[in-house]
Amino acid sequence: MTWIDFPLYGSIIGILWIIGLLFLVISYKKQAVLKIANLLFITGWAVLLLFVIKLWLELDRPPMRTLGETRLWYATFLPLIGFVTYIRWKYKWFLAYSIGMATMFLAINYLNPETYSKTLMPALQSPWFIPHVLVYLFSYAVLAASSIVAIKGWYDSYKQKFNIETLKLADNLVYIGFAFLTLGLLFGALWAKEAWGHYWTWDPKEVWAFLTWMGYLIYIHYRNFHIHKTKQALTILAMAFVVLLVCWFGVNYLPVANTSVHTYTNY
Amino acid sequence: MSDDNFKIQRNLWENPWGYVESFFIGFGLIITGLFLEVFSSSKNAFTISYPYNVFFLVGYMLLLFMLFKWFSNTQLIRWLTKVPASISSIALVTFMVMIMGIIPQVTSQNNLINNLGLNHITSNWAFLLILFQFLTCLGLISIKRILQFKWSNFGFILNHVGLFLTLIAGILGTGDLQRLSLNVYEGKPNWIATDLNGQEVELPFAFYLKDFLIDEYNPKLALVDNKTGSISHNDGKNLYLVEKGETYYFHNFEVKINEFFPNSGRFGKRYEPVNEIGSPPSASISVKNTKTDSVQNAWISSGSFRYPYESFKISEDYSVVMTIPEVKKFSSDIDILTKEGERISTILEVNKPYKYKGWKIYQLSYDEKMGKWSNLSVLELVKDPWLPLIYTGIFMMIAGAIYMFWMGNKITKNN
Ligand code: HEM
Repeated sequence: MTWIDFPLYGSIIGILWIIGLLFLVISYKKQAVLKIANLLFITGWAVLLLFVIKLWLELDRPPMRTLGETRLWYATFLPLIGFVTYIRWKYKWFLAYSIGMATMFLAINYLNPETYSKTLMPALQSPWFIPHVLVYLFSYAVLAASSIVAIKGWYDSYKQKFNIETLKLADNLVYIGFAFLTLGLLFGALWAKEAWGHYWTWDPKEVWAFLTWMGYLIYIHYRNFHIHKTKQALTILAMAFVVLLVCWFGVNYLPVANTSVHTYTNY
Repeated sequence: MSDDNFKIQRNLWENPWGYVESFFIGFGLIITGLFLEVFSSSKNAFTISYPYNVFFLVGYMLLLFMLFKWFSNTQLIRWLTKVPASISSIALVTFMVMIMGIIPQVTSQNNLINNLGLNHITSNWAFLLILFQFLTCLGLISIKRILQFKWSNFGFILNHVGLFLTLIAGILGTGDLQRLSLNVYEGKPNWIATDLNGQEVELPFAFYLKDFLIDEYNPKLALVDNKTGSISHNDGKNLYLVEKGETYYFHNFEVKINEFFPNSGRFGKRYEPVNEIGSPPSASISVKNTKTDSVQNAWISSGSFRYPYESFKISEDYSVVMTIPEVKKFSSDIDILTKEGERISTILEVNKPYKYKGWKIYQLSYDEKMGKWSNLSVLELVKDPWLPLIYTGIFMMIAGAIYMFWMGNKITKNN
């Protein structure tokens, strides 16, 4: 078992998951179909797990040295986080999102076979690397979703038919996303300590990640104590998302960019 | 908290202080801090070290506790334990950090930035003062919730106490943090390290480097544009790793790798494996032009600090080159020698530091010009006595985050 078998395994998993996603979409109309979707997801996941284990045994080391191998781990763990979140919060689109992302990572590996061997520098070869990136990926997705909900809230209140349920959905998403964001920050700190001997250096990317975190912290506290000031809450949520976007894409364009160590992390 | 309050006409500074007063106080702190920056003569960062930081910590905790216990009816403490004070301090800390995220933290061309200390925010008085208010709020509400302990406060305490511990230990701990770097050459014991200011520090133990090892990835094959000398992007694909037997395609060329030697030397027209310092990798390739079906054979090499590289011109426009191999892993096989005559063997590697007598020893770097023939290993030694406290805080926050994910928030739950 090596990467040579990946196209076969990858296609099987991809097909299972895509059909599963179709069933999931149908389940919005017919709830019973969701079972089939879940069955397909789990079967696909089991196949993926089999591939990872066999690859690991074959390589005789944890497959964590190349970008391709790293993506394989993303594809393995995303559905897991998706399932846990689904079991707890019953957001179906969320499960779909995590499976979709995982499929995308498998597809990237399939389309760029030569990147299996793309090299990973020593500092990135850490057991913290994957959890760190993964929880961030997840947290950004959830927080982005909370902003979409906020936009809906704005629109509704403009139309004079604002429903408080909208904001409650945003709240829940912020809590989930914020929890993952906290984990991302802390895993990053623990990893930096292992790799370089300091947990926090105020590197530009770290600064903006911290700002994002603080932005959502303001939202959480504001919401908790001014339950009826929905407009202000929506505004804070929108501003926090702007900071998140700067952190995600914008840091490279700021005057501070050339002092960042994070510019190589293009997953 | 009451939204109803909002509707009642209330004068500034009348009970209870709200957002306006909170931001007033916050900006007051920041402006005071900036004045201190401009007028204070000392340009050194403010740090306190053992034992004063321990005194400070104990004193601060006692003070917070007493304030809460005996003065919680005063205006000031009531304000500090309520949400407006917290939100304003969170917002203003965010504001100060945002300055750090925009203005590069180095000496600036702009005198205003230098004078106000906006290029060293982490040690700027304005930042320290507002952070102090932030910590005081956090500390007081933590005490409040701990004293009225309920299981439903569990997540709250994990998050707030965890953050408090992490921050306070991180801030106070910088004074005791020691970070030394030490160069050790193969076969020569060394116990003299240098600190961040370039001062020599004598260690009570020595390092002896038995072997410095680098694991490299295979070099990569790239196509270079003969005119510009830069790597030509092969339709956005990555560079290919050189491996015996592989065939790669660039435009209308089929490049087959017949042979690959990680260490080799040139003998006449070909390369042979050799094992000496500075012997570069090389490969024998066959290049087939699929348009004309003509095949050419050649040897290419990435060269090293001792030998020149060798590329192969496949057409008027392009040459095939071999890139310098990238490092996969580097490690030092070392002995730690103590004064008592003990000898401890270990292997240091990136991401795998070694703990010894309160020091954490990291593999930092090596002689990059020599690459895998480096006989120098640069180690870093870090002593951080406050680490257990910081880790306690971090793990409390991790637990708090998981709690938060699982429980959700009370606003949605109540309904
Ligand atoms: C890890 C970061 C933090 C998280 C996850 C967090 C979360 C929360 C939550 C969920 C609540 C409402 C919980 C409840 O009422 O049981 C709360 C309350 C509160 N938080 Fe935070 N918070 C954090 C940091 C902070 C900071 C940095 C401050 C102050 C500078 C702060 C000040 C407060 C205050 C004053 C309350 C109200 C407490 C009360 O009225 O008893 N929090 N926080």
